[in-house]
Amino acid sequence: MINARNISKSVNTAEGPLTILDNIDLSVSDGESLAIVGASGSGKSTLLGILAGLDIPSSGEMVLAGKSLTSMDEEGRAAVRAESVGFVFQSFQLLPGLNALENVMLPLELHGVAQAEEKARGYLERVGLSHRLYHYPKQLSGGEQQRVAVARAFASEPEILFADEPTGNLDSATGAHIIELIFALNAEQGTTLVLVTHEERLAQRCSRKITLDAGKCIDTDEVSMDSPAEVATGA
Amino acid sequence: MKALNVALAAKLLWRNWRSGEVKILTSALVLAVAVVTAIAVFSSRMDQSLIRQSNTYLAADRVISSRLAIPETWQTQPNSYDLQQTRVTEFSSMVFASKDDVDEMHLASVKAVGDLYPLRGQLEVSDIAFALGDDISIAQSVPEPGEVWVDSRLLPLMNIDLGDTLAVGDKSFNVSKIVIREPDTTASFSMLGPRVLMNQKDLEDTGVIQPGSRVTYRWLIAGEESNLQQFEQWLTPQLGEHYRFRTIKNSQRNISSALDRGTRFLMLAAVIGVLLASVAIAIAAQQFSRRHVDQVALLKSLGASARLVRLLYFMQMLILGVIAAIVGVLAGEFIQRAIASSIESLFAIELVSATWSAYATGWLTGLLCLLCFALPPLWHLPKVSPLKILRRELAVAGVSVWIKGLLGVAAIIALIGFYSGDSFITLSIVGGFSVVVLLGGLLALIMLRYSHQMGSRAGSYWRLALTNLERYRTQSIMQILVFACALMLLMVLYAIRTSLIEEWRLQLPDDAPNHFVMNIAPYEVNEVEQLFADNQLVPSPLYPMVLGRISALNEVIFTQEDRQRSNSLRRELNLSWAESIAPDNQLLEGQWWDSWQSTTGLPGVSVEVEEAKEIGLSLGDVITFSLGGIELKAEVASFRSVDWNAMRPNFFFLFSPGTLDNYSANFLTSVFIPAEQKPFVNTLLRQHPTIVIIEVDRIIERIRSIVEQVGRGIELVLWLVLLGGVMVLIAAVNASMANRMQETGLLRALGSGRALILRSLAIEFAVLGLLAGVLGVLGAEVLLMGLQWMVFEGDIYPHYELWAAGPILGALFIGALGVISCRRVVSVPPNLVLREIES
Repeated sequence: MINARNISKSVNTAEGPLTILDNIDLSVSDGESLAIVGASGSGKSTLLGILAGLDIPSSGEMVLAGKSLTSMDEEGRAAVRAESVGFVFQSFQLLPGLNALENVMLPLELHGVAQAEEKARGYLERVGLSHRLYHYPKQLSGGEQQRVAVARAFASEPEILFADEPTGNLDSATGAHIIELIFALNAEQGTTLVLVTHEERLAQRCSRKITLDAGKCIDTDEVSMDSPAEVATGA
Repeated sequence: MKALNVALAAKLLWRNWRSGEVKILTSALVLAVAVVTAIAVFSSRMDQSLIRQSNTYLAADRVISSRLAIPETWQTQPNSYDLQQTRVTEFSSMVFASKDDVDEMHLASVKAVGDLYPLRGQLEVSDIAFALGDDISIAQSVPEPGEVWVDSRLLPLMNIDLGDTLAVGDKSFNVSKIVIREPDTTASFSMLGPRVLMNQKDLEDTGVIQPGSRVTYRWLIAGEESNLQQFEQWLTPQLGEHYRFRTIKNSQRNISSALDRGTRFLMLAAVIGVLLASVAIAIAAQQFSRRHVDQVALLKSLGASARLVRLLYFMQMLILGVIAAIVGVLAGEFIQRAIASSIESLFAIELVSATWSAYATGWLTGLLCLLCFALPPLWHLPKVSPLKILRRELAVAGVSVWIKGLLGVAAIIALIGFYSGDSFITLSIVGGFSVVVLLGGLLALIMLRYSHQMGSRAGSYWRLALTNLERYRTQSIMQILVFACALMLLMVLYAIRTSLIEEWRLQLPDDAPNHFVMNIAPYEVNEVEQLFADNQLVPSPLYPMVLGRISALNEVIFTQEDRQRSNSLRRELNLSWAESIAPDNQLLEGQWWDSWQSTTGLPGVSVEVEEAKEIGLSLGDVITFSLGGIELKAEVASFRSVDWNAMRPNFFFLFSPGTLDNYSANFLTSVFIPAEQKPFVNTLLRQHPTIVIIEVDRIIERIRSIVEQVGRGIELVLWLVLLGGVMVLIAAVNASMANRMQETGLLRALGSGRALILRSLAIEFAVLGLLAGVLGVLGAEVLLMGLQWMVFEGDIYPHYELWAAGPILGALFIGALGVISCRRVVSVPPNLVLREIES
């Protein structure tokens, strides 16, 4: 599903070129869940951006859902994202002017899905927010906002879900709830999941994890399955 | 797919509207359209109504006049343009009467009119000579063939009564009515004899008109303006040198000048209104664009292509533009109706309906503003990287400030040019803006730095406020510039309105002379002056008037071709002399008599500057005049400009004192006769029937009422434009709201009291307003200089009242506006404020 070969990313700064990612090789199979862990500034989010087709590497080749992103322009990558990718972000990224239902409907409307509203209602119900359909983000708690974001991500039934620190802005209990939700929906839809986190325990929930340090992949592990509650609470 | 996109764009727009994100943008657009529609429609209605009313002084909408008869072939044309037409033939002729075996004859001004005369205005008649009040009625027709209607003064002059017979040439007529007032009297200003009005059908039978007779033919046309214009287009190329088109604008200078300045002001107000609204649109669009960067990044991460994003935003703007333009036109219509009805009720006039093009102008303005001011700030949105969703710190490559600036300037020039069609207005406004922006930016920087230094020594409110201004220096300068531009435009409009109304008032004071008394014989002068004195009337000085023609220049006799070139070389001129220069005359070149030295030993003559240009005179030229067959040579001593609006006797040629002493002169004066003393006119005419009185009281009354109507319209429009100014201020304050909310939220969270925050906010905005006021006044002076000099032709002088009011009002108004806009920040719990910013 995801195939990254010799991915490097560097940017020019006032002090000269700065390497953010250095020769990363990575592949993720259908239905697999991968955690990318590492300290702040290790290049996790940059890698996620490249894997999801939001950014392009300085060198190397990136294949997503069978399509080579590196040979595509932004319009082509947008088409791949539209077809195959969903996101959950650390800062939720809900549009403040749209209520919960409309936020979930947005990607469906964008892709011209028929009965967008019914579908969005269904997903909001599944994340336990059927009573909050018409609430605006600022009227929702952090956990509720992230649940809306999860509903939005799964509503378009993507092949791959990218989650960037999905619990980073939440307290432990709420975070555990969100993780449970993501993994439950993931299992149900057979989605491939790529998760960025700096929480070791959350990473344990995935079938595999890679650790980044200063842009290099220093470790690749198959991980055992812990209970989500344990992971989120750090128990 | 496209229908789907339109639906999606509409949905997004509705959601943006609901969340308040496009409210200021929409309001600014609606205001732009409403202001332009209201002003364009109102001006069009007022212009047309005033012209229609003023046209009563022509007795038609258009007049073609000539010394030659109107060709028969032309006369079938008005019908095909759905226009009314009639003919007037005027000439001087001796008229004869015989009563009690005494023959009387007198030179009369005969006017033969067609059945439809007058096409505009009314002909006032009576069955009693020198009638007043209720004895005067409106003629429903023209004299029947075989009848004449005559001036009251002809009865004592000819010793006849109504019902007697009067002969004009070979035909005798029954004198059946008295002509009290004709709508187009002033059109025949040079006709000094008493009026004899007859039917056009009798003209041939009189046998008066022979080849070579001095006759003025006038062809009167009236109808819808659009038809008139088509007709004019058809006729103009065929007029040649012998036929002249006359409209109210070229024949009634004083009325048309009041009208012109009024319409120019309204047009300027429309331009300023649109500029203000455009600034508001640009600021609101900039803010909208900033707020939508995240939304676009999200849409793109969800797979929306740049093309789709562009399409969605373009569609949103288009839908917004169309809706705002419709609402704006409706609002504009409502406003102009309110203005019009207040004027109608005040002045008891009925305004004609506006042309459709006035509405189209308003609508197009909205779309133009949207295109020029709202789209550029949004242009870069589709280029926002989807990666921004993960890395908020990523910079967004917007359209460069320079490109936006250039686009804005180009759009402003296009807009002003479009509305004014006047390069000077365009230049003045661009000049004013340049001063504010260039000089203003620099000054603002210096003033901010200075105020910051002051702030560091001041109390806590001041320190907080002034540090803030300095910290967000770019934002502060931008705000100062925007405020300054808005204040500049408002001050300019206010100053011009004040000076226009003041000038009009001065130009036609309440006691402005309203009657010209002409043809006073030298032996009548003392009696007439005594009569004025007995009635407590104070005439202008009596000017001697000698009729003469110009025959040669520098000893070279004018040829027939020369005479065709200039009307003054063809006709008899009224010549006079004067000791001192009249207050409404201005010496432009040469010397007045007290310091003039003749180089030829000849007497001097001072010439009105436009007349001099027409004939082609230079200082020192020798003109030969023929005065009743006697030759008089004079040297051109000076050129003068004359204010023809002043309603006082004025002459193209004024000789040095003593020059005309040996020529038989009649005298001319003007006098203010109050309405209650109107019967004096009849007393004067009864006692001196050869005197000619031209009543301009009605024209003055009309000019006053026009000035008042235009002035009233101007005032109401000023309020409308003020609304535009407030909109700009609100938009600019709102644009900085996010930063302010975050800061004040933090300050509140850290325990600062309401008073500290509110006071420092008030100080911050008041300082912004004060600096903007100072800059605004500077820009306003530059702009006013240009406008007064080139457009309104008024005097240039500093506006001290603005120097005082601009900065103070700026500080007070913007300070208050800032506090009102930000007051929510201190009344909502700080955690809510901070959370709102996060989301």
